[in-house]
Amino acid sequence: MTSDARTERLPRLLPRRLPSFTGFFGNLLVLVVVAWLLTNLAKTPGDFFQILLFGLSLGAIYALVALGYTLVYGILELINFAHGDVFMFGGTISAVFILEVFSLGSHEHWYVLWPVVAGCVVISMLICGILNVLIEMVAYRPLRNAPRLAPLITAVGMSFILQDVVLGWRGPNYITVPTTLPRSNIFAVGGVTYRWDELIVLLVTVPLLLGLVYLVQKTKQGKAMRATAQDREAAAMMGINVNRTISFTFLVAGALAGAGGLIYVLWQTQVRFDSGFRLGLISFTAAVLGGIGNLPGAVLGAVLIGLIQAFNEGLSWSAPGSDWTQSIVFSILILILVFRPEGLLGEKTPEGQ
Amino acid sequence: MSDAAATTGPSATAGAGAASDILLSVEGIHSYYGAIHALKGVTLEVRQGEIVTLIGANGAGKSSTLRSINGLPSPKVRDGRIVFDGQEITHRPGHEIVKLGIAQSPEGRRLFPRMTVVENLEMGAFQRSDKSGLKEDLERVFSLFPRLAERKTQKAGTMSGGEQQMCAIGRALMARPKLVLLDEPSMGLAPIFVERIFETIVEINRQGTAVLLVEQNALMALDVASRGYVLEIGQVVLSGPAQDLRKDEKVRKAYLGE
Ligand SMILES: Nc1ncnc2c1ncn2[C@@H]1O[C@H](COP(=O)(O)OP(=O)(O)O)[C@@H](O)[C@H]1O
Ligand SMILES: [Mg+2]
Repeated sequence: MTSDARTERLPRLLPRRLPSFTGFFGNLLVLVVVAWLLTNLAKTPGDFFQILLFGLSLGAIYALVALGYTLVYGILELINFAHGDVFMFGGTISAVFILEVFSLGSHEHWYVLWPVVAGCVVISMLICGILNVLIEMVAYRPLRNAPRLAPLITAVGMSFILQDVVLGWRGPNYITVPTTLPRSNIFAVGGVTYRWDELIVLLVTVPLLLGLVYLVQKTKQGKAMRATAQDREAAAMMGINVNRTISFTFLVAGALAGAGGLIYVLWQTQVRFDSGFRLGLISFTAAVLGGIGNLPGAVLGAVLIGLIQAFNEGLSWSAPGSDWTQSIVFSILILILVFRPEGLLGEKTPEGQ
Repeated sequence: MSDAAATTGPSATAGAGAASDILLSVEGIHSYYGAIHALKGVTLEVRQGEIVTLIGANGAGKSSTLRSINGLPSPKVRDGRIVFDGQEITHRPGHEIVKLGIAQSPEGRRLFPRMTVVENLEMGAFQRSDKSGLKEDLERVFSLFPRLAERKTQKAGTMSGGEQQMCAIGRALMARPKLVLLDEPSMGLAPIFVERIFETIVEINRQGTAVLLVEQNALMALDVASRGYVLEIGQVVLSGPAQDLRKDEKVRKAYLGE
């Protein structure tokens, strides 16, 4: 119950000797990756920078989803396995609105495109935010004091339900939207081309990330979120409405996933009932890599994973290629969980996520 | 909710002189952690401006009493009632009770470890809507605990036990409560800190806040309190003016180690 008790409950299991041993192999691994990147940089510098820019945009979308995992974990110590599917739901809703409500064609004029994008961002964020709040109320809140495994199982159940709802609604095929984002080059210098759609992804994502930082650091609701995450009962003693704060956290996490879903659909132009599964697991890995519960960590982890994926799939010299992306990402997840469970930015104390 | 008005109305006004200075009245509450019956009919009172102490052995139910008053989700109050400042608060959610004027410095301090001292203190004022008094109250806490002023930007989790205790009491005061509940403020502290904490409790009370003090250090608690209650296995077994309790044979044997 008290923080002292918590410390005792989670003793450090790893013997002291282990860090140096793992440190050696960790450093070796990093060294090999860096050498591989430098070789590619030397061989094809143009490709290298172009892929780096692409990886940043990919990482930005992962960041929106990873933040949802980390926010919810921070406040409930629950891995919300349905979160990737909330992202998918946002993508599906956005696709349906783009196709059937706004009937967007390919390469619309900017004065048509932007109001529709803005509208879709709001709609998708709102729907996914509310959906996430309802998920918490129905599937997690009644199990608040149950053993930890119970809400984990309902989370997996929720994930299947969302997939089945979309499967029943839109069928098993990809929902494809027209290419709406301009794909012309912003610049093409020395073999490095940077396209508008990649920049637009960042232009939508970065303000959302900054907005979240402001929300969590400066607003009263944000402070309530941090307090509740650090000690739920003490937060209640301060007069914080804990249930409302948890709902608010799910609202924010869902809204970010909703925004991510929209941007993903605009950029990749297709989404399907199971799109959230893979992307959700990749984003979850990003959150763990950065240190689950740690907001800047989630963004850092997402950008790193985005870059790793982009380099793996894009570089020409000795890259394993896209068939190996999932294996690589999950190998990272396993290595992190085994050797550095607190992640890159997480503190070592049990309550220091 | 509806019976609150009915019960407080007539009785509060009829009692006039004697009843109107009663700030908190706990009336025969039974509280449960699941099936565990922790409080078996606890009755106590705190009057305006008083320091009242609640003493008893480990596991007697002191913390459970404070938690019940504070409206925390556990233990659940299943019987009896709690009236604060003329309103029944028995089943009110905790965040409303804080707003009515009860703040707690809990057992084990329970600071927000990754927030700074100032942020922790500000969290104490969470339910208050007046921004203007906030700075003034921060100054008040810093004048009560000059040590905290030196550590404003330090993360609370990295401070010593004594400093954390000061911060926890300061945080409770930031709510500008009418009644502050202190749960074992001297626990685990060096004697010099214990002295300092007790001096401050008296000072806080002198400035007008009623105090319900839970202590294992019964001797010092009875020194500063005007009245006391002795709790044993979830029941009040003895109560009265603090001086009388200090002289009581059973109390001296069981709690004062004499
Ligand atoms: N979280 C809990 N779950 C179950 N039983 C509890 C819990 N907390 C306290 N108790 C029980 O309630 C009784 C009173 O405990 P407590 O109020 O903490 O005593 P005190 O503060 O006087 O040491 C004890 O028997 C204790 O075992
Ligand atoms: Mg106790």
